[in-house]
Amino acid sequence: MTKHRLRGRLAGLLTALTAVTVVLAGCGTDAGSGSSASSSPIDIWEGWTGVEATTFAHLVSEYQSEHPGVKVSSLYVNNDDTLQKVLTAVRGGSTPDIAYLYGSWAPNAAQIPQVVNLTQVVKRPGVNWDDFFTGERDVATVNGKVIGIPALVDNLAVVYNKKLFAAAHLPAPGPTWTWAQFTADAKALTNASIKQYGTAYVTPGTEDTVWRWEALLWEAGGALLTANNKQAAFDSAAGLQALDTLRTMSVTDKSMYLDPSDSAYANLFNSGKIGMLVTGPWDLSGFPNVDYGVQVMPSYPGADGGHQTISGPDNWVVFNNGSARVSAAEQFLLWLTAPAQVKYWSLKTGDLPTRTSVADQSSVTAAMDAALPGDAAFVQNLAEVKQARPQITQYPKISTVLGTMIVSVLLGQSQPQAALTAAAAQVNADLAG
Amino acid sequence: MVSSEHFAGWAFVTPGVAIIILFGAVPIVWSAVMSFQKDNLLSPSTPFVGTANYRQMLHDPIVTQAIQHTLIYTALFVPGTMLVGLVLAVAMNRKIRFISFYRTAAYATMAISTISEAIVFIWLFDPSYGIVNYFFSLIGVPQQQFLNSPSEALYVIVAMTIWGWSGFSVVIYLAALQGVPQVLLEAASIDGAGPWRRFRQITLPLLSPASLFLAVWLTINALQLFDEVYLSTSGGPLNATTVLVYYLYTEAFQQFNFGYASAIAYFLFLVIIVVTVIQFRVGKRFTYYRS
Repeated sequence: MTKHRLRGRLAGLLTALTAVTVVLAGCGTDAGSGSSASSSPIDIWEGWTGVEATTFAHLVSEYQSEHPGVKVSSLYVNNDDTLQKVLTAVRGGSTPDIAYLYGSWAPNAAQIPQVVNLTQVVKRPGVNWDDFFTGERDVATVNGKVIGIPALVDNLAVVYNKKLFAAAHLPAPGPTWTWAQFTADAKALTNASIKQYGTAYVTPGTEDTVWRWEALLWEAGGALLTANNKQAAFDSAAGLQALDTLRTMSVTDKSMYLDPSDSAYANLFNSGKIGMLVTGPWDLSGFPNVDYGVQVMPSYPGADGGHQTISGPDNWVVFNNGSARVSAAEQFLLWLTAPAQVKYWSLKTGDLPTRTSVADQSSVTAAMDAALPGDAAFVQNLAEVKQARPQITQYPKISTVLGTMIVSVLLGQSQPQAALTAAAAQVNADLAG
Repeated sequence: MVSSEHFAGWAFVTPGVAIIILFGAVPIVWSAVMSFQKDNLLSPSTPFVGTANYRQMLHDPIVTQAIQHTLIYTALFVPGTMLVGLVLAVAMNRKIRFISFYRTAAYATMAISTISEAIVFIWLFDPSYGIVNYFFSLIGVPQQQFLNSPSEALYVIVAMTIWGWSGFSVVIYLAALQGVPQVLLEAASIDGAGPWRRFRQITLPLLSPASLFLAVWLTINALQLFDEVYLSTSGGPLNATTVLVYYLYTEAFQQFNFGYASAIAYFLFLVIIVVTVIQFRVGKRFTYYRS
């Protein structure tokens, strides 16, 4: 979900240029045409950069050599912008056959008439749909309809600087640690005179601010909405506990570096200025200068949430450009997300395997961890993904409200209970309206 | 003969006109239509809702905030950029060593991409590690929160954009300064006018067409502020830097309210027209065109 934010923004300029190219290219083609499945072209919009881009290109060429006559063209689109470009393309009648879409967009994407229902496709023999992690399948499914195939998965865990822990005479975080310990460690790691912080939090108020708090809410035993998704449920003891934890660090102890740009915290951690981060596997390659360890999220003792995390899986979504092209696109995607390709992808890129059968192979995780230390811990942490965000079209609105609530508490502008009450009232109004 | 010239003329401009109609006029008309519809671009149904989108703006507290932020920003950014540009241009309008280096350096702010500019300013104004707070500590000013503070973030954006745009006003003012006739300045000298008086009564009036141009141009840009906000604060903290264009972007592309976003865009469009007309009317009185 939050992967490559800043890099993505840089690429936005390129995207603008490619968008023009797409429009021009779209003028000359008839999107509805397509002769036979074997020779149908497949247009893909994806946002891979760096090693992911080269790995993807390799897989595409492998598929093409195995399936002579199939022409797979992939077009780089900044992930942050894909949905808005798809929407424009839908209106212009020039949708791609496959697009990479953030999981948080799934409920909205499901409303697009051109999006292909894959419910029957994933039941085909050999697909083994249940091999994908629960959190991924939840996000690919909207109102019982499968609208995407998992493309990427991540989750949140704690990455800590071993040297700073040793210097502060603190034991390294263990698998049974608690938020009280996290808070105490953060305080002990903070040293204002050398501008060293115990931990950090991102405060742009976007979904990147919100999902990190949602993990705490679930661990405290809370829920975002009622089971029928009709009302706010986060104005609870659990919601208060989760907000209080953050407030203690940001306001009381001042042990939390607040990063409004969402881009500074990783550099600071790599410079040894921050003791612990709650973050995902995508940041690991940005910490070459630090000897770090990875541990699961702390828990709240006594709460029934236990150790949990949140996952931001993204989907490959198929668009209907005629039955021949749809079937060619489905065939390609099933191949791309089959265990052999998932394994190849994870080994090459360090991205977490989207399938349990691959994640369970110790040889795979060992190789991933050797290439990118800590990666295996994130793979194991996939098992702690027990819930998904509500799959409703109002989620972006709810996210905005929660973002304001969390930031106002972190900046010391509101008290946690008052912020919860106000946010719950706003969410209820948005859900009703 | 006349008609064939006529035809050739139209033939030459047709491609340009077609492009302007396609990428200019069509979107303008389309978004006008959309502003009267409920449209999320996702589903094909786009019912007309009359003026509901415009009425919604009246009751949206964030629109009110966004208008305030946009106006405060414009009121600071436009005079600020003009003043910085004028001072630099006057300082560089003389024959000294390395002058072309200074001029290039001043204009370089325009050549630097907004993303680099934003990253640099994020670090300059970082509350803990930024050099601005470091200098503040040297002179005993308390440490500021800058982009983390709802009451300060907008002013950081003002500083960032003044820095970015000053190169533009330097170039405009430098060009205008070259057009100030030396004879007038010399005549005034002979009549006993000091440097300040010469500047105030000769140079400044002769720069007024450039000033009017800059005021109009910078105002239009200021009212459409987006990039710096998107890159540095995402409208935060707590909407403190949410300006109109950023808000309509979030409404359109994050909340999928394209109808409402179009209504906000049209409101802004009208504001820009009104402000520009006023600027031209008022500007005429103060602008001196040399014939």
